[in-house]
Amino acid sequence: MSKRYGFVMLVYRCIDCKACQVACWAENEVPLGKTRNWITRDGYRGTFPHLSVDYLPGNCMHCDNAPCVSVCPTGASSKREDGIVAVNYKKCIGCKYCMVACPYDARYFHPEKEVADKCTMCKHRLAEGKEPACVTTCVGGARVFGDLNDPHSRVSKLLRKHRHKVLLPEQGTKPSIYYIMERPQEGGNLE
Amino acid sequence: MPKQSHSKIPTPQPGETFHWNRYFTRRQFIKGSAAVLATAAAAAGGIKTGFKENQVAYASEETSGKTVAIPTICENCVWRCGAIAYVKDGILTKLEGNPEHPNSRGKLCPRGNAGIKVLYDPDRLQFPMIRAGERGSGLWRRVSWEEALDFTAENMQRIKDEHGPEAMIMSSTHNLTQPYFENLLNAFGTPNYGTQRSLCFNAMTIAFTYTYGIAQPGVDYDNCRYIIYTGRNLAEAISNSETQKMMEFAARGGKIVVLDPRFTITASKAVEWLPVKPGTDLAFFLAVNHVIVTEELYDRDFIEKHTVGFEKLKEALQSYSPEWAAERCEIDAGTIRRIAREFASYRPAAVAHPNWRTSNFRNSFQTQRAIAILNALMGNWGKPGGLTPEGEESGPELGSLPQPPYPKVRAPRLDGVPWKYPLVPLKYGVIQEIRDALLTGKPYQGKGWLVYRQNPLMSIPERRKTLTALKNLDFLAVIDILPNDTAYYADVILPESTYLERWDPIAPAGNKLFLRQPVVEPLYDTMSGLMILKELGKRLGLEDYFPYEKEQDIIKAQIAPFNIDFDELVKKGFYEVKESEDHEMHFQTKSGKVEINSSLLESVGEPGVPVWQEPPAPPEGQFYLLTGKVAQHSQFTTQNNQWLMELTPYNPLWINAAVAKRLGIKDNQKVVVESKVGKVISRANVTEAIRPDCVFLAAGFGHLSKALTIGYGAGVSNSALHETNTDKLSGCQALSETFVTVKPLNSEEIAGGETS
Repeated sequence: MSKRYGFVMLVYRCIDCKACQVACWAENEVPLGKTRNWITRDGYRGTFPHLSVDYLPGNCMHCDNAPCVSVCPTGASSKREDGIVAVNYKKCIGCKYCMVACPYDARYFHPEKEVADKCTMCKHRLAEGKEPACVTTCVGGARVFGDLNDPHSRVSKLLRKHRHKVLLPEQGTKPSIYYIMERPQEGGNLE
Repeated sequence: MPKQSHSKIPTPQPGETFHWNRYFTRRQFIKGSAAVLATAAAAAGGIKTGFKENQVAYASEETSGKTVAIPTICENCVWRCGAIAYVKDGILTKLEGNPEHPNSRGKLCPRGNAGIKVLYDPDRLQFPMIRAGERGSGLWRRVSWEEALDFTAENMQRIKDEHGPEAMIMSSTHNLTQPYFENLLNAFGTPNYGTQRSLCFNAMTIAFTYTYGIAQPGVDYDNCRYIIYTGRNLAEAISNSETQKMMEFAARGGKIVVLDPRFTITASKAVEWLPVKPGTDLAFFLAVNHVIVTEELYDRDFIEKHTVGFEKLKEALQSYSPEWAAERCEIDAGTIRRIAREFASYRPAAVAHPNWRTSNFRNSFQTQRAIAILNALMGNWGKPGGLTPEGEESGPELGSLPQPPYPKVRAPRLDGVPWKYPLVPLKYGVIQEIRDALLTGKPYQGKGWLVYRQNPLMSIPERRKTLTALKNLDFLAVIDILPNDTAYYADVILPESTYLERWDPIAPAGNKLFLRQPVVEPLYDTMSGLMILKELGKRLGLEDYFPYEKEQDIIKAQIAPFNIDFDELVKKGFYEVKESEDHEMHFQTKSGKVEINSSLLESVGEPGVPVWQEPPAPPEGQFYLLTGKVAQHSQFTTQNNQWLMELTPYNPLWINAAVAKRLGIKDNQKVVVESKVGKVISRANVTEAIRPDCVFLAAGFGHLSKALTIGYGAGVSNSALHETNTDKLSGCQALSETFVTVKPLNSEEIAGGETS
């Protein structure tokens, strides 16, 4: 079976340090003021002193049913067999339909290249046998990356063991990023 | 964030006079352009340095168009993570964690990743300069290295001849070159050494030193099961490897209890968050110790074999019941009792973390002693899941270059060590006292100050006072990489190469020796700290104390005891030394044991065991002003980093939602924050995540130097608000003993920025 890449976010392990963002900016030469990935805060829930908060790392969800692909008039955006939603800069005319269509606001307009740019899962790094830059540097260990088709991969194991969710399921986009919201029990283990 | 203006203004030529604000704010920078690389050719103006030798990756025909990986050590905080720099055609494109380095474990935090923007900061100091107008006028003249170094040394020598060497103050902050900085000050003969430590963690390091003989023990996270953090916010005050280990510990179900008046990100990961009242964590730990001793939950064997003074502790703890503590720390007695029992049930895999500053009161030294003793009661020293002896000073013993003995120092220190602060180590000092001595002229008048990569104007409390002290100096010299706030008031500025452009002495980590080496050629006419110090030493007749021609001579001497090939070290970035098998339980204290009762404390007339010390509290209508870190910044050094400022562009004032409502303050609204010593205008972050009696400002913001075009005008300085309150035992500045009023900004008050 071919590979199908995806992310599992262990939300409890995200400390909102944003190392992932800086690593991505450097790795992918993202222009100042733009970003391909992010961390959003969910909370604070409750009132002092009974509080909780979660931090959700995100980037392009590399949807199986990607609205950006279906609205693209030139075929610049496509869903690859390995799970990556890719943008062909040569075909992109900068019409921004995809930016409007994406419910996750995952794309930005590149001011110099004049194309709609976004996360590529660092496919150039995958080709070298490395993980995406955001995953490699993740200090809290929240970002997990791997082959969803491989039952022995860490992402597959985590998804089998824990309840998980996707963002905006009502949009029917079938994202390739899964969120595990569970907190560890005492003596238990998130792995 | 202020917008950067990018109109072209030519770089001043040698000898040319220019204005600080105008020059720096209009400088243009194009990443990787030929123009930038061309300036490197002029680097170090003829003074011999070794930066080109043994270099593996400078742009050459061989590496043209290829990306080269160069191992080095990060310096965007003090944790010293191993990093791999990726360089293409002489341009740094990426920094990653070195998997071989125990401090980074293959990862870098946001600051480490943003090191590229340190190198390519548009506002970097590019050449030496001498003041060309009144101090603070902003008029400067570009000079050669020869002239700048001669000028600096002549002034230092003049002060020495006229007033004695002690009239020269020298200060520097935790960095790899610091031993050679100490060399300069010791050889020069001044006792007046300023470090950051009294503004930082003196209370912890001194308390643990006098209890265990080790300043900063580690934690065996892999086997630990229960950790209590007190004001230690590892998720935001990132110590890379330790933060990683904490999250691994938490994710496998280890129990974390956090005492903090704020719901920090660390607190949000905890099983239990205790929003303790500031300054009363001491009461909590006295009561926990009380329960453990009264209920005999401690490790009797460890106490008998390895400690002294248990009986005195037992006696002193009698009155500190959980009920007594609850009245003070606002954590109920039942919770204190339950946590004490739970914690003890996990021993020895239970650690009360040594923390950093705890609640940052004058009584924090006592708090840290109580914490150190709680660990001793658990008998966790060197046991699986307990405290580990590996502190920051550990590692293999390095070789050194031969040098003459230092001259005897006769004058007392301006900072009162040891005549006013008998327990503070000379190497730590009490820097805020130096500032005060400059103002009072007692015990004598300091005349000159050499500041090495430090920013006293931003870090010492009561900024207004510090500014007066600096302005009154006869001579102020600054060595730095950025035109920082203190540099603005200097007479001469010596620009250092960034950590990505220079060699530094070896940094051991665990049983490995790591190397910091240049990953690109210096972009500008800058030098390494090692060479600047040597050149100053030479001009002061102290050449024998700097027996090296270039930086690599030091490194070669350091690695001489080991069988290392220098070129291989350069290529690999580290060398692994065989681990020693010495696991004997011995403590570097006076008694050779863990000192529950400290004979040293008794020798200066203090109780030998921790006792309650009532912290001050804010009067009606005022708040505790808390300070702390955000994960995207390091002290006062990163507020001009383009990437980090994009993530965290300023420091809002955290204020409790219910309190804000009562005061009529809305989220993001401008507020006036005023203490006894200063006033700032900040923006409110109205939040549930802080106690109603506290407000919080992250440290590092509110720069005065207009040359920091990204950092200037961003956020406010809490040094402008902080009062000076020094603990007489540890010399530690009690940063949280400043109380403030907060009110919405009225229209008649001038909007924007800081008024102190």
